[in-house]
Amino acid sequence: MAITIDKEQAQFLVRLADTEMILGQRLCEMCSNGPFLEEDIALSNIALDLIGRAEQLYILISEIEGKGLSADDYAYRRNEREYFSIKLVEQPNTDFAWVIARQYLHDVYVKEIFTQLLSSKIDKVAGLSEKVLKEITYSHVHARDWMFRLGIGTPESNRRLQAAVDHLFKYAGELFAFDSIDKKFLSDITKLEQGWKSAVALTLAEANVKQPEIHKIYMRDYREGFHSEYLGHILSEMQFLPRAYPDAKW
Amino acid sequence: MVIQKEFGHLWELLSQIPDPEIPVINLVELGVIRKIEEKPDQDKVVITITPTYTGCPAKKLFNDLILEKLYENGYKNVELVSQLHPVWTTDWLTEETKAKLLKEGISPPTAENKIIQCPHCKSTDTRMISAFGSTPCQALYSCNKCLEPFNYFKCH
Repeated sequence: MAITIDKEQAQFLVRLADTEMILGQRLCEMCSNGPFLEEDIALSNIALDLIGRAEQLYILISEIEGKGLSADDYAYRRNEREYFSIKLVEQPNTDFAWVIARQYLHDVYVKEIFTQLLSSKIDKVAGLSEKVLKEITYSHVHARDWMFRLGIGTPESNRRLQAAVDHLFKYAGELFAFDSIDKKFLSDITKLEQGWKSAVALTLAEANVKQPEIHKIYMRDYREGFHSEYLGHILSEMQFLPRAYPDAKW
Repeated sequence: MVIQKEFGHLWELLSQIPDPEIPVINLVELGVIRKIEEKPDQDKVVITITPTYTGCPAKKLFNDLILEKLYENGYKNVELVSQLHPVWTTDWLTEETKAKLLKEGISPPTAENKIIQCPHCKSTDTRMISAFGSTPCQALYSCNKCLEPFNYFKCH
């Protein structure tokens, strides 16, 4: 019995870790491609937070699984179907509005999750959650601020933000298709869903962006290891070096 | 900040290591060294470190610098323990450390990031340029009075 619980605990944390890892990698692509210097630095800083967070989660998962794997093993030695990141964070950096909308929708979601994990039975998960909540505030405020600036900036910036939100909302449905593992480790799934929906609705309304409907999932769920077309490309770039030179270390 | 009086010689050694990104203060002043234990029976030193930010790129370097410093001083068997909780906070910087930062041109953290002083002309009429700066723990500011840009050590 104890083994099953550990396995499920690890699986729950892997979803969170992979989501942070992949979004971190996506944001790294923005390094030197930001719209201006300060924003470039901001996005790179947020990428560092995400990757650092993923690393801490992988270390925890390794302790739970007890297979002696390193954070590198988790990040670099798994294929698409072994990754459990949400499809939202795999979406490309089509333009700056996409980067911001993706970040905002993610930050609200993950903030809710870590808030619930503060009461985790595992001390280290609760401790890490406290740390993450402190750090994510900067990213969340930054993304929300840009949502307003783009949404009520010019007709063109509004049009772009609307297009980004329309696309990204296709992947919002699966965020709330909770399975038995989610239900076991999150203290209140209804609160998570309602919290996300009301915060996002408020921001979109203020940013003068129409909220698209959230459809039921029409793609297979990330919880089973199914992804959009982008994940394979992300991994091929991210994992190239450690796969080509297996002894390379961070 | 010294949070423990025991093993003063080891605290002294570690306070000789400058922060690689903000060299005006050392690792002890930064508050990342939480505990030092010397175990003479095992001929071993155990050091507990709390990182500033989970994604801080200097994290790994901290470890290397500590090991190097202790090795040079004859401590060959050193164990580093990473401890996230209680989480690192800028409350652990002493007033003395904050004064040092200000003197070197980095505005020190203030409660809720409210009153932020220009390290150049000491005016508090300042504005944020970006919440993200040259290191994860700093933000970019500019002074409305003397117009100089400066780094602000974020309250965390």
